[in-house]
Amino acid sequence: MIMVRAIVRPEKKDELLAELSVAGFHAATVVDVVGRGKQKGIKFGDIVYDEIPKTLVMMAVPDEQKDAVVGVVLRYARSGEQGAFGDGKIFVTSVEEAYTVSSGELGL
Amino acid sequence: MKEIMAIIRMNKVNAMKKALLNAGVAGFTAVKVLGRGRLVKDPSVIEERKKTLLAINPVQEAGKEKLVTEFLDGTRLFPRRLFTIMAHDDEVPQIVAAIIEANRTENKVGDGKIFVMPVMDIIRVRTGETGDSAL
Repeated sequence: MIMVRAIVRPEKKDELLAELSVAGFHAATVVDVVGRGKQKGIKFGDIVYDEIPKTLVMMAVPDEQKDAVVGVVLRYARSGEQGAFGDGKIFVTSVEEAYTVSSGELGL
Repeated sequence: MKEIMAIIRMNKVNAMKKALLNAGVAGFTAVKVLGRGRLVKDPSVIEERKKTLLAINPVQEAGKEKLVTEFLDGTRLFPRRLFTIMAHDDEVPQIVAAIIEANRTENKVGDGKIFVMPVMDIIRVRTGETGDSAL
């Protein structure tokens, strides 16, 4: 099992969640976050904005569905065809165990 | 070392904190999050939840039924609390059991998920010590 954490533009969140649901990945957790990336924030003259609002979407999926999830995020979180700085990052980590609280069952 | 991520109901936060204390872990980080879960396949469970949710507030407000329906069919994200707990390997089963015990309800759905993930290293900022002793 793996955990996919995608940091995306807040304005892309609704479309991304809708498309994830269509692709069969309905379960997700969403957090509003602030952060900066490799470009060291946004600079306008002397003013630097280095706490840029983003949305963090977290999903736990079986190993074999990793590429499908990452594909959906890449497709719908990118701005335009080319993409642009600030479109976000996807992190993939391993999950050893997952439990459902209501049943106490092991597994997704 | 393991990272335990638990997504639980907002009104279970106090029970969760008490349960963690009893399980011997005092430290945690909690965030308010929005989310949705796996779609429930059993329509009878959904019907039951809809009935109880509508009965909570007897005042008939416009759009209330629509709101409840949207919560249950997955078009709307609902609020939950995300707890992040770092633990030694051998503590994980008892913590997971304590979380399940404290957060289980009669509702059959929506009680949350627990994820257990490996942690490579932990460093205490104050002293700089690493690994298990930093926890």
